[in-house]
Amino acid sequence: MAKYLRIAIVLAMAVALLPLATSRAQEPVTLRITTWAGVDEAAEFQAIIDDVNASQDAFQIVHEPKPSDYYTVLQTALAGGEAADLMWLDQDHMPWAFDGVLLDISDYLANDDRDTANPDDYFPGVWQTVAMGEGVYGLPWIAQPVVLYYNKDIFDAMGHEYPNADWTWDQFKEAAIALTNEEHYGFSLNGWPPPYIWIWGNGGDVVSEDLAESPVDDPAVIEAVQFYADMIYNEECCPSQETIAEEGFGEMFKAGRLAMFMGGAADDLDRVEGLNVGVSPVPKGNATGENTTFAWIAATAINAKTEHPDEAYEALVMLTEGIHSWKIVSPRVSQATVEHLVASEPRKEANAEDIIAAVPYMRGFTLFPGYLEFNDVIWGDYFNPAFNGEDTAEALAPDARILLEDVLASQ
Amino acid sequence: MATETSAQVLPYDEMARRHRIETLLTRAIIYALLLIGAAIILIPFLWMVSTSLKVERQLFEWPPRWIPDPVAFENYWKAWEQLGSIAPGLTFWRIISNTLFITVLAMFAEMFSAAVVAYGFARFRFKGRDVLFFIMLSTMMIPGVLTRVPSFLIWREVGLLNTYDPLTLPAWTAWGPAYVFLLRQFFLTIPREMDEAAIIDGANPVQVFFYVMLPLVKPAFLAIGVLAFQGNWNNFEGPLIYLNTTQLFPLILSIQFFQQSLSKEAPKWHYMMAMATMMAAPILLLFFMAQRYFIEGLNVGAVKG
Amino acid sequence: MGDPGAFNSYYPTFLRYIGTAIVLALLIYLTYQGLRKLGVKREAATGFALITPWLVGRILLTAFPILLSFYLGFTEYNILWDEPRSLKDPLFNYKRALSFKIVEFDKDERVSIAKLGQLQAEGPDIVRYRELDSVVIGDTRYVIAATDIYLWRAIWLTLRYAVLSIPLGMAGALGVALLLNQNVKGVGYWRTLYYLPAVLPAAAVALLWFWLFAPNRGLINWALGPIYDLTNSEPLGWFTDKNLVLPSFVIMSMWGIFGANTVILLAGLKNIPPDLYEAASIDGAGNWVKFRHVTIPMLSPTLFYVLIMGVIGALQLFTEQAFIPTEREDGWFVNWFLYNEAFNFGRMGYASAVGWLYAVFIIAITLLVFRSSAAWVFYEGAREKEAGGA
Repeated sequence: MAKYLRIAIVLAMAVALLPLATSRAQEPVTLRITTWAGVDEAAEFQAIIDDVNASQDAFQIVHEPKPSDYYTVLQTALAGGEAADLMWLDQDHMPWAFDGVLLDISDYLANDDRDTANPDDYFPGVWQTVAMGEGVYGLPWIAQPVVLYYNKDIFDAMGHEYPNADWTWDQFKEAAIALTNEEHYGFSLNGWPPPYIWIWGNGGDVVSEDLAESPVDDPAVIEAVQFYADMIYNEECCPSQETIAEEGFGEMFKAGRLAMFMGGAADDLDRVEGLNVGVSPVPKGNATGENTTFAWIAATAINAKTEHPDEAYEALVMLTEGIHSWKIVSPRVSQATVEHLVASEPRKEANAEDIIAAVPYMRGFTLFPGYLEFNDVIWGDYFNPAFNGEDTAEALAPDARILLEDVLASQ
Repeated sequence: MATETSAQVLPYDEMARRHRIETLLTRAIIYALLLIGAAIILIPFLWMVSTSLKVERQLFEWPPRWIPDPVAFENYWKAWEQLGSIAPGLTFWRIISNTLFITVLAMFAEMFSAAVVAYGFARFRFKGRDVLFFIMLSTMMIPGVLTRVPSFLIWREVGLLNTYDPLTLPAWTAWGPAYVFLLRQFFLTIPREMDEAAIIDGANPVQVFFYVMLPLVKPAFLAIGVLAFQGNWNNFEGPLIYLNTTQLFPLILSIQFFQQSLSKEAPKWHYMMAMATMMAAPILLLFFMAQRYFIEGLNVGAVKG
Repeated sequence: MGDPGAFNSYYPTFLRYIGTAIVLALLIYLTYQGLRKLGVKREAATGFALITPWLVGRILLTAFPILLSFYLGFTEYNILWDEPRSLKDPLFNYKRALSFKIVEFDKDERVSIAKLGQLQAEGPDIVRYRELDSVVIGDTRYVIAATDIYLWRAIWLTLRYAVLSIPLGMAGALGVALLLNQNVKGVGYWRTLYYLPAVLPAAAVALLWFWLFAPNRGLINWALGPIYDLTNSEPLGWFTDKNLVLPSFVIMSMWGIFGANTVILLAGLKNIPPDLYEAASIDGAGNWVKFRHVTIPMLSPTLFYVLIMGVIGALQLFTEQAFIPTEREDGWFVNWFLYNEAFNFGRMGYASAVGWLYAVFIIAITLLVFRSSAAWVFYEGAREKEAGGA
């Protein structure tokens, strides 16, 4: 009986290993890219991938979209050693580079003279989100400024002037209050748009240039945070947390329940059927006097564990070149024109000038090794308690500063 | 005399009448309480089914409507279509086959190995048996938090994360001490003469186990089958930790994924209740078909232990 | 992480599944042969061989992970890293979990983080004491500060949940079981009905109650509407209100656990010999006396079993929490807290250390309940022995 068993187990093992054996030895190399693209976005992106695949024989790119819970799924995949060769990351998650999961491409860039691989053609505020420490960990493909979408019908019905680039934040707040009634609210916040718009517009920042200090108790920062806290979930101007939870955040604007809403310049909020929507830059910062705004930045990065780094780099550059003529707003200086923008996205023609006008005033985060924890602390111990009305920004700021500087010192 | 008798009888009648009324009243109270309890049990159930058949706008109707109009049976497949839009390839049939694959494999291995181990513990004397049996019972007390992280790391080390292996292979090692315990109790009730006779007839221990012992403990064997099916069908923590490709998700993880992603903005309660109903339906069906085994399995620990 | 297709994701596992079965069968066979060669008697060799699958499984999949977990508790290990990193202070994780102190403030002084101080241990992070709670006595505010307030909140929530849900659930189940034991017509149907919620998957129960408790559109707030109107109060927020998270979970658990306990207790009641009641009646005992001196003692082993299962279940609640997202600030159940520490916040080392502490805690409580059983659980075997002795 033992003999039969032994034969059976050898057979079973052999068959079990079969799938491993057959999956090897493929020409050309298959590269996987994972993104958060939804159905429509994925279809458009596939066209770019098809072009890249058709233009060379070294590799074939396969797209694996993960439209929801993206970072949780991606982190588990990276942890399990299963992640794709290339991946989209927003600026918040670029600091994963410091955990060694992203490939440093600076050597490749030094020997590459294509425009897409030229750091000088990227806006410096955007490039800083991929160039961290000594290395470069990806190529940015979008830097869209936050702009103000407004529902013209509500403004008309209430007889209110449309928002414009000369509005101050106080005017904005008055408008939000005036435009609130039984049917609709003036504006909506739930942590988005980022409070940094107000902080930076007020001339403040949450981390000093040398990354040693976190001056969140600076009066300019306190004032900005308090301004945000006074509006959020305040039913004089904005929906409560419960209302947002039930009706959906962006959904409320699309359903005509909000007069104003802030979104990325590339969002589809200005082409909702049955809605008459205008776009304006965000109001002027009190200190800067400019329409200082937040840039939503994303990049493509390479998995440090990829088996084909050379091909992956090549794919990265080619894909990024393609995306720059697809996604708006391209993060490159040479492409920050109305013409390039309209060519990429004809549906944005009406608002192209406002968007391009906002580009010079946008910026992203300063990134550093402890960034993710820093972000947790600033929200957990400063923004959220202030926004939930647990305490005033002024009272919270000193402790927040101590905690944030601990994070900076830990790195 | 007559008056005397009636004077004696009347209080007796009165007592009997009072007693009857009292009993009747007690019975009425008992049934009333049971009915209230039944309502508390059933109303949430009905609400779940009712919600699952509503169109979205009726969700928020005030006062709530119990019988949906129109009856939206399509929720039961639209929910999965919605899920498929964010997890391409994760269709309803894929989810069902994933779930059944895990559940059936794990259940079978669990039943079979529990029977073998219980047989070993019950029918044979060997040194250290009682100590080992005590250790086995004590493993019931080991909390999952202790092994979660290292188990993840071990499966990562052997490269089998994101496969069904961690959810099915270990079931062969009799991982449910309660099942072993239950089966052992049953094996103990079988007279030793049964297997001794079989051995004298020339059967080997494998044959004795399959042809004599297993048929005799069939009720208990089926009881742990039912419990193991339920346990694996409902298992959430395992798939959550070991699986990350959405197409591999079993039902419970698919529902959580739906709730986490699609419902983050505005909860789609009608879809979620449809999913919850579908999650519950097979278990309820199994329960009605095999109620006796459920209750058997439930009681053995308490009464025999 | 691409879709391997249904077939490709099933059949390798299936083959390894068959392979595992074969390996284990072989193991049984070889163990038997080996023991026989060593001169062990046939019976002992067969018995020991048959339990080897269990033994091997427990060594590889229980004992080894537990030891590994113990080791990991002294390291720093982000889930994104390939290897754990050693800590300058090996006890850092334990200090981070357990350190707490009491700091005095003036009554009206703001509790500042600076004054609470930081943990004196060399680790990857600077860890500060945070306010857990405070008591004002006279002009002084005594602040209880801990280094991981979320852990303590999680423990506090879980303990309160256990202390509330277990006795309430047992009392309710006992009540229903007693009712069903009164020669009720169709007892089988009633039993089925009451057992129903216990069969439901925890995930379905959680989703259902999350919906029933929805603040603005939920059935429960609708049913309570008249009361809100009468008392002129705002509808309760249930799972979204940090003060009501606990009661909401308790109510939900009552609905779910109730049935299983009812069935178990009912079986226990049916097992009480009727002659004990008859004997009590002859002695002139009333209903209460019978309940107190016959039912409770005779039922105590069953109650004990229900209690043990309740304690183990309540302290390890997990699935429900995954389907009912609450804020970490408001308290998470310990099991969920630890899952997130390890798999979302990248602190596998810390989660292992706390996991060990928590496991020891659970086992200690369980053993305590076991020890207490001598005082109140009445075993028939023991009674017979006493009777025999006398």
